Amino acid sequence: MTPLHFLLLSALLFGIGLIGVIARRNLFVLYMSIELMLSAVGLMLATFSRLRGDEGGAVLSLLLIAIIAAEAAVFLAMIIALFRAGRSINAHDFTQLSQEQNA
Amino acid sequence: MSESIIFYTLALFLLGGASGMITARRTIFSAASFMLSMIALSGMFALLHQSFLFLAQLLVAVGAIITLSMLVIVSVNISERYIPKEPHLGRALLLGALIAAPIVALIVVALQAHFTASFAPVPEDFGTLASIGATLFSAWVLPFELISLLLLAALVGAVVISRKGERS
Repeated sequence: MTPLHFLLLSALLFGIGLIGVIARRNLFVLYMSIELMLSAVGLMLATFSRLRGDEGGAVLSLLLIAIIAAEAAVFLAMIIALFRAGRSINAHDFTQLSQEQNA
Repeated sequence: MSESIIFYTLALFLLGGASGMITARRTIFSAASFMLSMIALSGMFALLHQSFLFLAQLLVAVGAIITLSMLVIVSVNISERYIPKEPHLGRALLLGALIAAPIVALIVVALQAHFTASFAPVPEDFGTLASIGATLFSAWVLPFELISLLLLAALVGAVVISRKGERS
């Protein structure tokens, strides 16, 4: 296995996550797509760590897992709060910030 | 040779799980596919000699984060009519692929131009718990402490957000 295989794989994973963020409306799937993109970056960091024989990359990847955990906690709480407020998990229903404020 | 068989099997599960996640219409199937791809990702870490990352990915990402997400999906129990219908899912995915393709192509071209080397052999204790821990608590203490602050802030934020929903 060469480093290129791992790097290409992480680029593809990032692309799939990006497609999910663009195409899907279900808030849960959006959240998992964002996590997938973060994980792709983690794989790239681990590959570079192995390539250079430097453990800094592995540590950074470990800290990234902690960031993903923090993101999961906040995002899940937010989805539940949004569902309670608007009875919807459709991302297209939450457009308050893109509309003109009249009041 | 066996290593590359393992790599391609894991890559199949990783990409298949990821594509299953963005194409599945049922949310829980999405989460299950995502879990599959995260397990395959931890296998990738093992292939990279990152034994501690492998464990952390399996325990934290798969065991905690995705299980928590699945638990929330199941326990919130959103009825069928609140789930977005997404009638033009295929078209939306195609549009997404058209937008994502140039970005991924750019990354692929850049990677192919610069990374032709193969992995150099690493010391025996590379990526083990002891050696990662030594690196973490010497050169990476400040980021580690900042992450702990971030986790605390996320914890408090999650509690505050879910309480606010309860009151109204």
